[in-house]
Amino acid sequence: MSTFQLPTHFGRFGGCYAPETLMPALLELEAAYIEATGDGAFEQELQRLRRDFAGRATPLFHARRLSQEWGLDLWIKREDLLHTGAHKLNNALGQALLAKRMGKTRILAETGAGQHGVASATVCALLGLECVVYMGEVDMQRQRPNVERMHLLGARVEPVKSGQRTLKDAVNEALRAWVSDPDAHYLLGSALGPHPFPTMVAAFHQVIGDEAKEQFQAQGGGSLPDLAVACVGGGSNAIGLFRAFVPHDSVTLVGVEAGGRGSEPGEHAARWLGGQEGVLHGCRTLVLSDEHGQIQGTHSISAGLDYPAVGPEHAHLADIGRARYETARDDEALEGFAALARLEGILPALESSHALGWLMSHREEWRGKQVVLGLSGRGDKDLDTVLPLLGGQA
Amino acid sequence: MNPRLQAAVEAGRKGGCPGIAPYLTAGDGGVGRTLAALHAIEKAGAVCVELGLPFSDPLADGPVLQAAAERSLEGGMTPTRTLDLIQRYRQEGGQMAVMLFSYTNPLFVGLGGLRASAERLAAVGGDGFVVPDLPPELAGELQDACEELDLGTVFFATPRSSPARIRAAAEASSGFLYCVGRVGVTGQRTHFDAEVLRWLDQVRDLAGSTPLAVGFGVATPGDITALTGHTDLAISGSALVQHLHRTKGTDQDGAQAAFDFVAALCGAQPD
Repeated sequence: MSTFQLPTHFGRFGGCYAPETLMPALLELEAAYIEATGDGAFEQELQRLRRDFAGRATPLFHARRLSQEWGLDLWIKREDLLHTGAHKLNNALGQALLAKRMGKTRILAETGAGQHGVASATVCALLGLECVVYMGEVDMQRQRPNVERMHLLGARVEPVKSGQRTLKDAVNEALRAWVSDPDAHYLLGSALGPHPFPTMVAAFHQVIGDEAKEQFQAQGGGSLPDLAVACVGGGSNAIGLFRAFVPHDSVTLVGVEAGGRGSEPGEHAARWLGGQEGVLHGCRTLVLSDEHGQIQGTHSISAGLDYPAVGPEHAHLADIGRARYETARDDEALEGFAALARLEGILPALESSHALGWLMSHREEWRGKQVVLGLSGRGDKDLDTVLPLLGGQA
Repeated sequence: MNPRLQAAVEAGRKGGCPGIAPYLTAGDGGVGRTLAALHAIEKAGAVCVELGLPFSDPLADGPVLQAAAERSLEGGMTPTRTLDLIQRYRQEGGQMAVMLFSYTNPLFVGLGGLRASAERLAAVGGDGFVVPDLPPELAGELQDACEELDLGTVFFATPRSSPARIRAAAEASSGFLYCVGRVGVTGQRTHFDAEVLRWLDQVRDLAGSTPLAVGFGVATPGDITALTGHTDLAISGSALVQHLHRTKGTDQDGAQAAFDFVAALCGAQPD
């Protein structure tokens, strides 16, 4: 049977729970990915664009004032400085290059916060590909500047009006569009979905952790940090950071989910708090669903964490006890946002602010320790949300 | 093979035209309306029904079946109530083969896992599963349970599936192989032209003794006529669901509408 060649699962998580209408496209994608990553020319072109277009390597910044304030040594991996303002470009570049190599002329993408949509629109402009971005109507409202950016970059933004009209529904619509449009490539924006996406997306982001580890050592942080921490929506930036440290047991890995407004269903997006093993968007993982298996609504102040399932590799890392997943509430994220702005002159994305907020709340636990924090993106896109809440404080 | 499925396929083969296997979303318009429609389509000549268990995120479905699932969920439909509905249909004398059409998550979470789902479906008199997001590679547990319980398991073939995948899907299927005549989601029209029919004949060769059902875009008696000789069963979903939804009035009014729709399909003449 023509089936996959790479491992499809992480432990019992992952897999390819996809309709047969999608399977040929997924098989074609996996084959192309294997072929491309075995070809030096692809790798070379990706390196060139990462360096000259995206601005890699991104710095690892020793945040001295915040370190002093919190009583620990904080090193921030500055994915906010990547072109387009978030880590999403790593994956978008890799997949778009792959799509181009496959002879595709059109890219479909979903977006929540708009960062992946902007990254997709950007690489499509760069490589001369048509770009259609599916975005929930609710997200379009709260991330207006990113919608405008996508338009300026030549992309078409398709409002998604089904379900909760957020990221989950945008993924549904993009998958449906892909089924009907097999000549397009679906540029899935996080390390989730059916195989080969979780494997491929994590591989394109692995550069985050590889760089961070090397920079940490070169800048005199020591051989390894005590903690690597990042926010987790689908979990692409976190898996990109974690993969470099997974083999080193002395490094604690913490993923921070959106605790939202409270622990009631619909008030958060914390899969380890209220989720159970299930299947959503093609993979087996932890999913927020009710007792009948219907997917639940989520809430987070940050659109990028507002998603009811988590990438399967994270579900596996938690299952084997290698990583732990904790939550930061909306208000903790805002405190993290304010602290980084005030003490280091950096406006973080609300997504990344969850990692900061969690660390702030748990700083006693990490007193005197070396911490590497993945700052997945910049916060300019969030000012409309943040300003009414923080006012003059920040 | 499950005897009711076997009977459905044989009935389909006997009449010249393919057997009619409508799709209904369980609980759309209320449980009573679905139940009345089940009896009505049976009376109209349907040999098998695909009963859709509503799911919040049906990614293989177009707008019509998405909306039907949403209405049904808003009305309080659950996986357990869907099984109860099948049980009532049987208790009231219903004889059609009943395939439960469900996405994976309601089976995993709502019915307690794939094996438990099979046991529970068998217990209420259901005849098998159609799970669009469970490819043969991942269906081992469901297949094993269904084999023990004499339930059917149905997998899919599409025009983009390789011959090897179609062969494997047919081998893994018990009951019938579900052929999707075009790329896309449910509810868009399919033109059953020479190319599609040629593809169906290739699938027939690859599928060996596994019967075929054709679905996605089957809406009119003309479609049934065109498919004659190329498939054992024809599945009509979105068109019927929409017709039923647009019919106002009592459950009996709905049942009459379902009867008329299916009777027209069953009355199609071979070319």
